[in-house]
Amino acid sequence: MAVNLTAEAIAKMLNGEVTSETDMTPVLQVTELKMIQTKLNQNHESSNRYKITLSDGILWQQGMLNTSLNSLVIQGSIQFGSIVKLTRFVCNQVQSRRIVVVADVEILVEKCDIIGPRVQSGKPNEPGQSSVFDQQRGGLGSVNTQQSNGGGFEQQQARRTDLNGGRYGASANSPQPQVVHNNPDAVRYGVSANLPQPQVVHNSSDAGRYGLPANSPQPHQVGHNSSDAGKYGANLAQPQVGHNSSDAGRYGLPASSPQPQVGHNSSDAGRYGLPASSPQPQVGHNSSDAGRYGLPASSPQPQVGQRYGTGSGYPETSPSSRPYGSSNAGYGGSRLEQPRAPATTAYSRPVQSSYQPQPPPMYVNRGPVARNEAPPRITPIAALNPYQGRWTIKVRVSCKGALRRFSNPRGEGKLFNFDLLDSGGGEIRVTCFNDVVDQFFDQIVVGNVYLISRGSLKPAQKNFNHLQNDYEIHLDSASTIQQCYEDDPTIPRHQFHFRNVGDIENMESNSITDLIGIVSSINPAVSIMRKNQTEVLKRALQLKDMSGRSVEFTMWGDFCNAEGQKLQMLCDSGASPVLAVKAGRISEFNGKQVSTIGSSQLFIEPDFPEARELREWYEREGRNAHFTSISREFTGAGRQELRKVITQIKDDKLGTSEKPDWITVCATISFMKVENFCYTACPIMNGDRPCSKKVTNNGDGTWRCEKCDKSVEECDYRYILQIQLQDHTGLTWATAFQEAGEEIMGISAKDLYYIKYEHQEEEKFEDIIRSFTFSKYIFKLKIKEETYSDEQRVKATVVKAEKINYSSDTRFMLEAMDKLRTGDANSLPVKLESSNYRSDALNSGIGTSGTRETASVDARRDFGLPAANQVGQYGNQYAGPINGITSCNACGSNGHVSANCPSLMSEPQGQYTQGRYTGGGTPRQHVGGY
Amino acid sequence: MDTSSPSAFVNGALLRRYIGQKVRTVIQVIGSDTGSVVGKSTDDLQIVVRGPSPTPPLTTYLEVIGIAESDNSIRAETWTNFGNTFDPQNYNELCKLANGEFKHLFI
Repeated sequence: MAVNLTAEAIAKMLNGEVTSETDMTPVLQVTELKMIQTKLNQNHESSNRYKITLSDGILWQQGMLNTSLNSLVIQGSIQFGSIVKLTRFVCNQVQSRRIVVVADVEILVEKCDIIGPRVQSGKPNEPGQSSVFDQQRGGLGSVNTQQSNGGGFEQQQARRTDLNGGRYGASANSPQPQVVHNNPDAVRYGVSANLPQPQVVHNSSDAGRYGLPANSPQPHQVGHNSSDAGKYGANLAQPQVGHNSSDAGRYGLPASSPQPQVGHNSSDAGRYGLPASSPQPQVGHNSSDAGRYGLPASSPQPQVGQRYGTGSGYPETSPSSRPYGSSNAGYGGSRLEQPRAPATTAYSRPVQSSYQPQPPPMYVNRGPVARNEAPPRITPIAALNPYQGRWTIKVRVSCKGALRRFSNPRGEGKLFNFDLLDSGGGEIRVTCFNDVVDQFFDQIVVGNVYLISRGSLKPAQKNFNHLQNDYEIHLDSASTIQQCYEDDPTIPRHQFHFRNVGDIENMESNSITDLIGIVSSINPAVSIMRKNQTEVLKRALQLKDMSGRSVEFTMWGDFCNAEGQKLQMLCDSGASPVLAVKAGRISEFNGKQVSTIGSSQLFIEPDFPEARELREWYEREGRNAHFTSISREFTGAGRQELRKVITQIKDDKLGTSEKPDWITVCATISFMKVENFCYTACPIMNGDRPCSKKVTNNGDGTWRCEKCDKSVEECDYRYILQIQLQDHTGLTWATAFQEAGEEIMGISAKDLYYIKYEHQEEEKFEDIIRSFTFSKYIFKLKIKEETYSDEQRVKATVVKAEKINYSSDTRFMLEAMDKLRTGDANSLPVKLESSNYRSDALNSGIGTSGTRETASVDARRDFGLPAANQVGQYGNQYAGPINGITSCNACGSNGHVSANCPSLMSEPQGQYTQGRYTGGGTPRQHVGGY
Repeated sequence: MDTSSPSAFVNGALLRRYIGQKVRTVIQVIGSDTGSVVGKSTDDLQIVVRGPSPTPPLTTYLEVIGIAESDNSIRAETWTNFGNTFDPQNYNELCKLANGEFKHLFI
């Protein structure tokens, strides 16, 4: 192969001569490739990283592949034996060892035999190194001694097959029992000295490790296979075999049994401590998912041909026929003689302890690292990792979050974050806390380019951070942000990872995606009540794209007004605007949906290639194509505003289910309790809202809050209005707290309190009360059954009160009538709603005519009766069961036949004939929710 | 309630049905002369209303109760200012309903 590995590259990297691609772009061979799952998020693909070992033919060096290269590994372009040229990398000193972080490579040869003997770079100045090896050799020596004492067994073979091509470590063909160490990762195996019958096979690999006793006449052996995450507790007190066969695996296998036959395979997460103290343990463990086999060789002449893992198992029938690959020479038997640096210190120590109790840790280069004060060299975002001390990135701010405050048991704080892009296509989030917020908040402007250096890299909080980066930067007071006034056009302003709508259908809900599509329709903004009783705007639209699917996209909050309004205008004018969504969350509320989150960004008619392509497609064919929605079809505006009449609160048993019912009624305030219309409230801010718990007068002019455990000079006054609501069906009591109270009264509770009690302006007070009694409002009510002293009461709370707008209310009723007249039974949204419409519609007829506005309910009923004979909708509603049957004939005149007359099916018969006034008549409010 | 002389809700198009009878309608004032006001009905037809001029100032919308003289003129008996923010669409719908499907509800 006409590729030459760069000579001495590793040596230069190790002594610090080469630290990045600017010094050299070495050609190296991959001699090891391991996937490491970060604990952060196990089911997240991007949290997998690959650990890599690179060789220049003489020395080798460990490193990490950047996640951006994961795809190359997955598709097999980078594999065991690949020869690559490092085009972007950083060589860092981490604790005692050097790590090369590879950001980009050029693949020269995908597959190649391992070149040269594989030797790990020894680190100069490593004090503990020689002693380690001495110990190790000593341990091994003793093993051999013991083994020979223990009787001459025919040797056993171990083989290991690596996913990436297979490496075989086999014991030498000596008649003596022996220990075979196969370890690509500088893991050490400790073998206890006093094993009675030690036949120890160590195998390690990524996907399959095999302990295979081959032809053992006296098969006392341990075939020991482990995977990456297995940890095997070493029992130090007992004679044992300590196996270390992977990055994280630690194995202690007490082998004190006289005849231990242990075939030992573990799955990824398994932990095995195998005390082999039973007289004849024959243990076969097969618990892996990839298929790993440990074969207890209990038969005298086992001729075992096995397939392991990926199927690259090599049955060994004779020691002499062991297929050593050329590359294996480096870590076959000769391996034992080769110096090995404790490159993975953390892993090796416990193993050593199995043959020498707790040698002191041998970290090297623990001293302070000399600070590199050279002018900043720009690190690509993709190359940032927690093992770097000093770095500088040149980035553009793509998105800046608002300043948020939080309060937790440790106190209060504030934070803000912003997202960065760099020219290498990397993205990362920066989070600042507390003082650092003050330092940088004003400095960060979206779209500007900055040089940012120092700060710590933390695992990304995937709950909040949807960027494709495993880390996020936390800035501290030592961090610097320097603005580059010269714009760098190589840094994109936005970066998208668009998925098409068809893909979204199969994506997990709550995942974050970018999306681009044509807005085919948009709904008006509606306000939704949130659980914490605040209202939020929502606006839904349909997005479709080239996948031939469409999806409902929901905007929340401010998006509805800014971008939503613009889209609405565009749609109203007949256009089909392109909308690009950065960071929308997929939800499963209505089929699959995508909605905005706080850090979403929307781009209307953006100017980039994807948008142009989409536009062209739409003009060409998309306009007339048929789309299947992955969301449930939008059911119309009736969903979020459930208009009811007052008696329905009782008749429909509202509030008695688990969740409160939210309804809207159009009603008149007929009475208000003027005593105790407000309470004294705690004004101490708790987060961004006042505490608002009741405070009690200390008698000395101060007010005490039990919750805050503080006294304040001046208290707040908050409404707790007890009002009686009445509509044409009945009346009910309801409570209006502060915000709703202000909406009704049009004056703050404090002002009203002062008018009544401080200034004693009784007349003015009564004027105010009179100003809203007997006026009509649209009330949004929360209906919930609550239990007070063993008594169930349905409580209605006013969450919003709005003076009726006759014009829009009339339109609402006209719409309802329209639906009723044109639709058949199926198109009526909800049965109860349809009866609402009818009652409202009747009301409108009366209201607009201006003649019966003040008519009593009875009068209306009288009014309804004759009508029933002609128009089913009304008659049915008001005439009760008697007219219920006959009215359908009247319906017929409107296109209904009695069989499918909606009113017949939907009408709660007799609803209005009984208990009209008794319905909500009893005051049943409970004060004291504060 | 006085039902002796009912006045029908009309828009411009419905006026012709009630020639010689008492009607009520709402117009948007376009211009006024001595003795007449020219207005736009809620269904965008022009209506001339004659009769004793209402006392100025006129608001944008006026309710007129009077006798339909022709299919586009009314002799007014009562003028009422209906303000500047009246919703003509709703009124128009009301007129249609009051003369169509729900005629029986109206006198």
